[in-house]
Formats: sequence, C-alpha cells, structure tokens
Amino acid sequence: MTDVRAEITANVWKVNVEVGASVAEGDEVAILESMKMEIPVESPVSGTVTAVHVAPDSQVKEGDLICTVDASGQG
Amino acid sequence: MADEPEVDERYNWGPLVADLAARREAALGMGGPERVERQRSLGKWPVRERLDALLDPGTFTEFGLLADHMEPSLAHKGSFAADGCVTGVGQVDGRRIAVCAYDFTVQAGSMGRVNEFKVSRMRELALRQRIPVVWLLDSAGARITSDAGSTFAGNGALFREQVALSGVVPQVAAMMGHCAAGTAYIPALADFVPMVKGTSSMALAGRHLVKAATGEDVTEEEMGGSEVHTKVSGVADMEVADDAECLAMVRQYLSYFPSSNTDEVPDVPCDDPVDRRCEGLYKIVPTAPRRAYDMHKVIAEVVDPGSFFEMKAAWARNVVTGLARVGGRAVGIVASNPMVLGGALDVNSADKAARFVWLCDAFGIPLVFLHDVPGFVVGTAVEQQGIIRHGAKMLFAISEATVPKVSVVVRKSYGAGYFVMNGLAYEADYLVVWPGAEIAVMGPEGMVNITMRKHLDEFPEGAERDAERIRLADEFRTNIDPYIAAGHGLVDDVIDPADTRLAIWKGLEVAATKQVSRPWRKHGVLPV
Repeated sequence: MTDVRAEITANVWKVNVEVGASVAEGDEVAILESMKMEIPVESPVSGTVTAVHVAPDSQVKEGDLICTVDASGQG
Repeated sequence: MADEPEVDERYNWGPLVADLAARREAALGMGGPERVERQRSLGKWPVRERLDALLDPGTFTEFGLLADHMEPSLAHKGSFAADGCVTGVGQVDGRRIAVCAYDFTVQAGSMGRVNEFKVSRMRELALRQRIPVVWLLDSAGARITSDAGSTFAGNGALFREQVALSGVVPQVAAMMGHCAAGTAYIPALADFVPMVKGTSSMALAGRHLVKAATGEDVTEEEMGGSEVHTKVSGVADMEVADDAECLAMVRQYLSYFPSSNTDEVPDVPCDDPVDRRCEGLYKIVPTAPRRAYDMHKVIAEVVDPGSFFEMKAAWARNVVTGLARVGGRAVGIVASNPMVLGGALDVNSADKAARFVWLCDAFGIPLVFLHDVPGFVVGTAVEQQGIIRHGAKMLFAISEATVPKVSVVVRKSYGAGYFVMNGLAYEADYLVVWPGAEIAVMGPEGMVNITMRKHLDEFPEGAERDAERIRLADEFRTNIDPYIAAGHGLVDDVIDPADTRLAIWKGLEVAATKQVSRPWRKHGVLPV
C-alpha cells in the first residue's frame, strides 16, 4: 500500500480518482489549490486506488492523506 | 643453542616500545568495549569506524591519540582516551581535511581543556594549510565536571576562530549524537550540517538544564532533533538515515568545493553532452500560468545526471537551493518552487537563498538561478516577521556575489522577486528567458487594482466591474511579453526550453574569467 500525501496545506480543488480506479505512476490523483496556483498531486506508483481520503472543497494540511494506492500485482 | 640474545642495556628499546604499544592500544579502544558496544546498540558507529567511513583508506594521521584529561581532580576516574575527541588529518577523494571527532564513549564526548587544545590545533592547522575542517559531533557539550568555575572567563576562542575560518576553508559539522551548548554552536557557524535521524540533536541547553531553568519537560529529540532543525528552524541542512549516509553525504558535499577560497573547484569528467536537448521540460513545465509543477524535475533534467545535492530541502520549500554539476563543473542552484506558496518568497526562503548565495560566492562556485517567482509574499503577517529586512538580505547577498551568475526565467519573474533572483541589474552574466516568460513590476491583476481603482469605481459592483477588471488586465498583459524585454536588449536571449542546459553552460563559459572591482570597504552593513 502506498499512501499519497499532500505536499502542502491547500484546498482540494479536484479529485480525479475513485476507489477501484487503476492509476499509472505519475497520474494526477487530485489537484490542490493554494496561493492561486493549481498544484497537481501525482501517484508515485502504478496500481489500484483502495481508498480516497479527501473530497473537493475540503482542506488538507502538509502530510495529510489524499488516497492510498495498492501497487501489488503491477509489473 | 637457542640462547636468548643478551640484552645490551645501552640499547634497551624493547620495554619502551612495548609500553608505548600498550598505551596506544588502550587509547585506540576509546571508552572501552562496554561503552563502545553501548554506542553501537544505540545505532551509532564507534568513532574510529566513523573515521574509516569518512576518510580514504590509510590516509589518517592522528594528532593527540595519547592525550588525557590531566586534571588532578579527575585522577580517580583514570585516563580519558584521546581526551574524548579524535583529531587529525586525512583525505577525502585524495584531498586533505582536518577532522575533529568527538566520541561519546569517553566522558560523553564532553569538551575538556585538553581536547579543546587538540581541536584548536586542528583549526590552526586547517587555516595554515588551507584545508576544510570536518567536525563529527557526538558530545554533551562543555565538561562542567572539571570546568565549572569562573576560569570560564577565558573560554570561547573556538567560536571566534571558527568565524575567522568562515569563507576561507569549508566547514562541515555532522550531527551524530545529542549535542548541547558548545557543540550546538559549532554547527551554527559551519557551512554544512547534516543530522542523523533519531540519534542526533542540537540545542543550546540539554533537557535537564531546560527542565531546571524553565520547567519544560521535553526530550532531546522533540527539542532539537533532525525533524525540528531540518523542517522548522532551518539550522540544519539535511536529515540522513544513519551514520553511513551521513558520512557519505559529507564526502559528496566536499566534492563540490575547493579546499579553500583561493583554490580551484575540482571539475569531474562528464560524458553527458552540454548541448543535450532537454525535451522532457516540455512535459514538466505547463504553459498554463496557474498550473504548478515541481521545480526539482526541471533541475534534474538540466544538470549532469544524479549530480543535484539539495540543501535545506525540507525547510522554506518555496525556494530550492543545492549544489550540482553542469558539464562536470560545480554550480550552485537557486530555484523558485511553484508547488509551495506558488514560488513566492517569504522570510525563511529569503534567508535560505541569501545564505546559500554567500556560501557559493565565498568559494568561487558559479550560481544558476531558475525563476518562476510571483514576487514576495505581502501582508501583515510577513511584515511583522520582518520581510523587508529578510528580503534586503537576499538583495544584499545577490548584489555582493561576484561569481559567474546565470539566470533563466522559466515562466515568470515579478517585482523584487526578479531582482533577488539575479535580474539583469545584479551583474547577471547571461540572462535568458523561455518563450512566454513574464517579467514585470507586478502581475496585470495587481496593476489594474492599483492604477485603475477610480476608473473601476465607475462600474457597478459585481459582474460589470469584474468584467471591466478582466478586460483591463488583458490589456495590461499585452505589455508583459518576453519579446519586449528582448527587443530592448534587456534579456540576452529567448531560448527554446529544451536548450536550457546548453544556455546554462554557455553562461558559465562566457563568465569564466569574471572579475568585479568594488570600492574598498571594511565590510557592508548586513541586513539580518
């Protein structure tokens, strides 16, 4: 299981994945918004999303969980 | 006949040599097997293994192995091997350094009169030989059991001497244990401070003194561990996992530096062509201005593969500072990071960048600036933190730096942010911009709100006024155009992003013999 975390305190603008979705390494799982900038959050691994911890318009602090990706079974 | 050869009493060295060997062996054993094992069980290497990992094999010449505390009042405690600090000269990648390695197994590595004399000899030697000093710090601080009275009035030369060494020879203080007071100021005055996670800390006072003085009950780790100093205070430069990584990082750090400020920075062979096209940048940097990206990826794409050595990575992350190589040549990189605060500068990032610029300038390391900066953060909070003097500090550092300075405006560079990131007026030796780069005193929205306020008041509040604001901003935006700057000759070139590595190399080449004369002065008056 790989935790994908917020790099920075921000508002959650978009969440691009749901539980069960498969993602490739580097895919954007969410987009945060801070200081008028859109900040993409990328999955560090390829795998299946097993949990999504945020919703649009919620707030995250640095280090907060965005989603969890299960990388097992991937090449 | 197997008779023992008769001892000639006039040439009887045997017992003397045997006595010496026994003394040396005892001293090499430091605090004894039990304490050395305890050191290891805490996840810390014994001091001699640390030196083996730091230095090229077989290059260590030790000074003062047979030193001891020499205090009549401590006679009942027996000998203190090397008086708790191993000092000497060894080599890193074939170049000499002076080392002072405090050893916790001997009296908690405390700073006693004799070991301080040994360390002062290393500072003196480093200055005379113009070689770096590396401290491995695993020390409780002053040895107050023997130095508790007012003879303290004569102490303190160590810090003054360290200041005199600053900018003359590189100084590294590796935090490899819990250090307090004296051994916390040594890193404060050094250039590079890695900290081992979990086993090291630094604080002006240890937890017992803090408890007595303030009532605060806190662990060494909570007060001054690597988490605090690499993420919150910014005192340390890097968190490392263990002793092995710590010493490897010290070796790598030194590889970017000359032995002294009058020596040359060693180049390394590089088979990565300087004109390598960096087409990955098209995918890394969005053209949409509000879209953030990770500047580390840009740096990794343009420098020699794997050469980026980031400093203070986890603190003031809105600016990225670190050493790297381009075409085998060492450079210092100062880059905006749009992922954090949109790349805007605040008090800590200005501090971080200013100090890094001073570091590189002191040792003749050229500077490369990658701009994507909307300016300085504004408002009550930052004014109360003294953003003006911190911003001034960065201006000061950039203005003073006489090393080759290359600037690349990746996307935007606004206001004083453009100046402190080495704008044209700051003796930039080569200033190039990407197509679409925005350079201006401020963004169009800000311009409209300030200069067109009365005009906007004539429109009914709400949708109509907003529409007019957007229309005016678009009008202002037409003045923000890299080809206007290029047309006036105010930037040296507009480049294809994929040619950024080549542009940096060209900048280093054209500035290779840079000389700057300034009027004589004792020193400037630093805004700190």
